[in-house]
Amino acid sequence: MSDLFGNINVSGSGVSAAQTWLNTIAGNIANMDDVSPTDEATYGEQTPVFEPDAALGQVGEGVTVAGVDEGSTAGIIEADPTSPLADAQGEVRVPDIELGGQMVNMIQAQDDYQANTSAMADARSAYQSALTLGT
Amino acid sequence: MDGIVGVLQFATDGVNQQQQATANNLANSETPDFTAEDVNFQSSLQQALDSAGGGTANLTVNPDPAPMATDGNNVDTSTQLVDAQEEMLQYQTDVEMLNAQFRLISGAAGGSFS
Repeated sequence: MSDLFGNINVSGSGVSAAQTWLNTIAGNIANMDDVSPTDEATYGEQTPVFEPDAALGQVGEGVTVAGVDEGSTAGIIEADPTSPLADAQGEVRVPDIELGGQMVNMIQAQDDYQANTSAMADARSAYQSALTLGT
Repeated sequence: MDGIVGVLQFATDGVNQQQQATANNLANSETPDFTAEDVNFQSSLQQALDSAGGGTANLTVNPDPAPMATDGNNVDTSTQLVDAQEEMLQYQTDVEMLNAQFRLISGAAGGSFS
């Protein structure tokens, strides 16, 4: 660790990662009911890819979001003859996203966010006490 | 490092490293294949303080031996949150001890003890 008050940044990277995760979940839920023609791809479930931010032989410096995994855009074929996008067989392509799974992920992402803010508050208290040195 | 101020300084730096490791473990609580880090300096410091001629204390970073979940991650969030609280209080205690030493020095040098 080299920068002043560095531990706050370590927790900050965790908060950012959790925020990215929450954003992808929001996007997934918003696009759950997308409808595409069967000859086109549909929305793929987005998942962030987390990687540790670490220098060899040293205490790690947090987490980075290496990217967002797009998931399969094949979706599932559903019968919906009334849709204007339906093909000759009356079928459309919809994303393969379950609301339940997204809600479970959201709870995990929220807990992740809170754990990191809690660690950030602890780092802050410790640094504040360091500022009293010699006074 | 020499004297009690040196010991306290080493301990404060060590706790700071422990806090960083805990913050890093929590930040990576959802990273696949991440192994939690465990920083230790207390046993080494204890040994150095116990040795008659004075010894050298070291800080070591080891992988946490906790069992891993199906995604290869072994961070136990609740344990880490407890560690974070402990380390914060330990840090504040060390700082308070340092301040007490400084007050003694200041008093002995003709200044105020408080």
